[in-house]
Amino acid sequence: MSTATDTSHLIITPAGDQSVGHPLAGHMMSGADMVIQTLVDSGVDTIFGYSGGAILPAFDAIYRYNQTHQETPLRLVVPANEQGAGFMAAGYARATGRPGVFMVTSGPGATNAVTPIRDCMADSVPCVLICGQVPRAAMGTDAFQEAPVYNIMSSCAKHTFLVLDPQELEATIRTAFRIATTGRPGPVVIDIPKDVQNWTGTFRGEGILHLRGYEKRWGRLRASRVSEDKQRSFFDILNRSQRPLLYVGGGVVHSEASDALRRFSHTFGIPGVTTLMGIGAFDTKDPHCMHMLGMHGTAYANYSVEDCDYLIAVGARFDDRVAGKVSAFAPNAREVAHIDLDAAEIGKVKAVTWSHVGDAGRCLEDLTKYGLKTGFAKNFDHWQAHCADLRATHKLDWDRESDRIQPHHVITELNRITRGEAIVTTGVGQHQMWSAQYFDFTEPRTWLTSGSMGTMGFGVPAGMGAAIAHPDKTVVVVDGDGSIRMNLGELETLVTYGANNVKVLLLNNYGDGMVRQWQRLMFGQRFSGSDKTQHSCKFVNAAKAYGFTFSEQLAHKECLVDTLQRFIDHDSPAFLEVLIDPDALVMPMVGPGKGYSEMVVGDWIQPRNSTVSNELDGKTKADLF
Amino acid sequence: MANKLETISPDHAHRHVLSILVENQYGVLSRIAGMFATRGFNIDSLTVSATEDSTMSRMTIAVHGDSSVISQLQRQLDKFAEVIVIEKFTERQAHISRELMLVKVRHKPTSRTDLLQIASIFKAKSVDMTPSTITFEIVGKENKLSNFLTVLQEESTIIETARSGVVALTRGKSGLRESFLGEVVNQ
Ligand SMILES: Cc1ncc(C[n+]2csc(CCOP(=O)(O)OP(=O)(O)O)c2C)c(N)n1
Ligand SMILES: [Mg+2]
Repeated sequence: MSTATDTSHLIITPAGDQSVGHPLAGHMMSGADMVIQTLVDSGVDTIFGYSGGAILPAFDAIYRYNQTHQETPLRLVVPANEQGAGFMAAGYARATGRPGVFMVTSGPGATNAVTPIRDCMADSVPCVLICGQVPRAAMGTDAFQEAPVYNIMSSCAKHTFLVLDPQELEATIRTAFRIATTGRPGPVVIDIPKDVQNWTGTFRGEGILHLRGYEKRWGRLRASRVSEDKQRSFFDILNRSQRPLLYVGGGVVHSEASDALRRFSHTFGIPGVTTLMGIGAFDTKDPHCMHMLGMHGTAYANYSVEDCDYLIAVGARFDDRVAGKVSAFAPNAREVAHIDLDAAEIGKVKAVTWSHVGDAGRCLEDLTKYGLKTGFAKNFDHWQAHCADLRATHKLDWDRESDRIQPHHVITELNRITRGEAIVTTGVGQHQMWSAQYFDFTEPRTWLTSGSMGTMGFGVPAGMGAAIAHPDKTVVVVDGDGSIRMNLGELETLVTYGANNVKVLLLNNYGDGMVRQWQRLMFGQRFSGSDKTQHSCKFVNAAKAYGFTFSEQLAHKECLVDTLQRFIDHDSPAFLEVLIDPDALVMPMVGPGKGYSEMVVGDWIQPRNSTVSNELDGKTKADLF
Repeated sequence: MANKLETISPDHAHRHVLSILVENQYGVLSRIAGMFATRGFNIDSLTVSATEDSTMSRMTIAVHGDSSVISQLQRQLDKFAEVIVIEKFTERQAHISRELMLVKVRHKPTSRTDLLQIASIFKAKSVDMTPSTITFEIVGKENKLSNFLTVLQEESTIIETARSGVVALTRGKSGLRESFLGEVVNQ
C-alpha cells in the first residue's frame, strides 16, 4: 500500500538531548553498514549467516566492521545450510531469551530459511532474519534468485518487512527487534533489496517505525495486574478445591516466570505438570513437579490431570498433543483458570472459569502476595500425598533385563552424569520423547526442542547456537538417525567453530522410530518408508570425516556407563552413536484424539485400573483414589 | 469455508462490521487478508483506503460469525503490529454504513420507463445508457442494495454488478483516529 516515495513520516525520532545521540549520527554510510551498526547497537554479538549475491554488501560490511573493531568483533558463524543458520539462531535465542540473528541471500537462501522461521513462530522464539533481495528495479521480473519473500514469510513469521525506502532501513532493523522481543515473542523477517544495501545516506543512530497500536497494546499488557476482585475469586476457587494442579507451558519459560511459578507452587503446596515446552520451568527434581503431561507424558502426570478438580493453566494453550480430545481433558476439573499473555489463546480451545491476560510471572507474584496477605492456608496434604503416590507407583520404566541397549537406560545413565544441569537439544521422534521423559532439568532454557512444528534436523544446529550462547555449559544433542541426516552437515560447523562443549549422542534404531511406532500401533505393522536398515551411512565415519576427535559406536550394554563418561569428559566436540533396541517404544501413549483414560502404558509402567469417578466430592480422602 | 471455531460455541452467526486503522506499511493488506484465509474466517467484504492521515489506512471488514468467532477474530487482528485500533460496529451502536453498487441491466424497450421509476424510488442514478441497457449507481445499506436488485430482476436481466464493499463510521462527534491519538496523549 505505501509507496517508496516520502515515507519518512513513518519514522518517530525520539525528541531529546541531541548531545547524547549516537556517536556516528550524521555520518554518511552505506545501507549495509547501517544494517550492521544497528544490529550491534541492538546488542547482537553473533550472526549465523550464509552469503550470496543479494546479501554480499551486508557480508562485506561485517568484514569491514570487524577490521575496525578487532577487540569486539561480530562473530560470524557460517553453517552448511541456511536452515542450519536459522536453528542456530533459534538455539541461541531459546538458551538465552535474547533474539537470535541470521542472515541469508535472496531466492534459495531465503526459502531455505522458511522452516526455522516457522519453527520459531510455532514455539514463540524471538529471532531476526535479514534476507538479501534482488535490486528494487528487478523485483517482480522473475529475476535470478528472486523469490516472493514478503509473501512467503508474512504467513509464517510474526512480522515481515520489505525495505523499499532506504531512509527507513535503520529504523526498520530497530523495529524488528522490538517486535521480536515484545508481547508473545516471535520471528521477524527483514527483506532488503541489494540496491538498498548499496545506497549511501546519513546515519541517524535512532528512530523506530510507528507501531502506535502495537506499542499501546503491549504497554497495557505489560502493566496489566490482577485486580483485587479477581485475586479474591482465584483464591475462592482454590479454597473450594481439593485437588488443584498447575498446568505449565512454554509461556512460563518465555516470560522468565519460572521463579515466580516455583514460589507460587511452594507457598500454597500446589503440584504441577509441564508441557513439552514448559519443561525446565519447574525443577524436575522438585517434589511438586509431576513432569510432562500429554500424548507421551508420564503416566503419573496424566493421572494427576485426570484427578485434579482445579486446573490452573499458565502460559499453556491446550494444544492437541496435550488435549487430544478436549471434551475429555481434565474431566474432573470443575474449574479451569488460564493465565496467558496472548488474549487469543484464552478460550480458544477450552472454556475457562477464571482468566487473566498478562505477564505470567507478574500474575503469579500478585497471586502469591495476595494469598500470603490474606493468610490463605488451605491444606492440600492429601492431594500432595496422592501425587507422590502416583509418582512412585506409576513411574517411568523399561525392560531392564533386555540384552539390547534400551534408550531409556542410556538417557538415565547420561542424566546421572549431567545431573540435570546440561543443556539438551534434540531432533524429533522417539529419542526426543525419551529425552523429555528421562532427563532432569533444574533450570529453564536448558531443554531446547522443536515442539509445535516438530522439525527433524533441529538438534545439531540448535546445539551449536546454544554452545555459543553458553560456552561454559555442557550441551548434549540427542539425535535420531533420521533427524541427524537432515542437517548432518552441521556436524562440521561444530568442529569448525570449536564448539567443544557440544556432545552429540545419536540413538540409532535404524529407522524413523516414531513413524514405526505409529505404523506398529495403527497401520498393521506395515513399515512403509521408515526402515533404514539398508541405508549406508556409517555415522561414526561421517563424524570423523567432519573432524570429530571422539567418534565412537556403542553396541554393548556393559560398556555404557564408562563410554558415556569418556564421551562427556572429552575436551572437544564428541560424537557417540549408540545402537539401541529398534523395537523400543515411547510409553505411555495417549493416541491422537483420545482422552487420558485411554492411555496405553506398555509393558513396563504400572497402569491404573480406574480413575477417580465424577461422583467424588471434595471431602473424599485423596488417598482413596 | 467452515470455521473450526464455530463448532466450539454454536450461538447464532451474525453480520459484523469491523473498522480498523492500520499503519500505512508495505503489504499490510495482504498480511491481514492472508490471516483470514489461514484461519478460515468468512469475510463478506473488505475495503481499504487512504485516510485523512497519510500514515494510516482504514480497512473495513464485513464478516459473518457468532460472537466467539468475532472475538477470536478481533484478538487475532490485535496481534498484527500494523493494527492501530479496531472498532466493532454492533447493531446497537449508532453508526452509518454504506455500500456503493454499479449494476448493468438489459431490458425490453417497453420497460425503460418502469426501470427509471424504480430507480428514482431507490434514489439510484442512471449513469450509462444504450438502447437496450442501463447502468445504475446506488449507494446505501446492504439490504437496500439487495432489495433494489430483486426489484430490477423482475423488469430486466442483470448483466453484471460491481459492489464496493461496506464502509462505515460511527455517528456523533468523535472519530476513531482522534480518540486513539487523544488517549495516547493523555496517557
Ligand atoms: C522435517 C520432518 N520430516 C518428517 C517428520 C515426521 N517424523 C516425525 S518423527 C519421524 C522419525 C524420526 O526418526 P529419527 O530421527 O530416527 O528418530 P526416532 O524416532 O527413530 O528416535 C518422522 C519422519 C518430521 N517431524 N520432520
Ligand atoms: Mg531413528
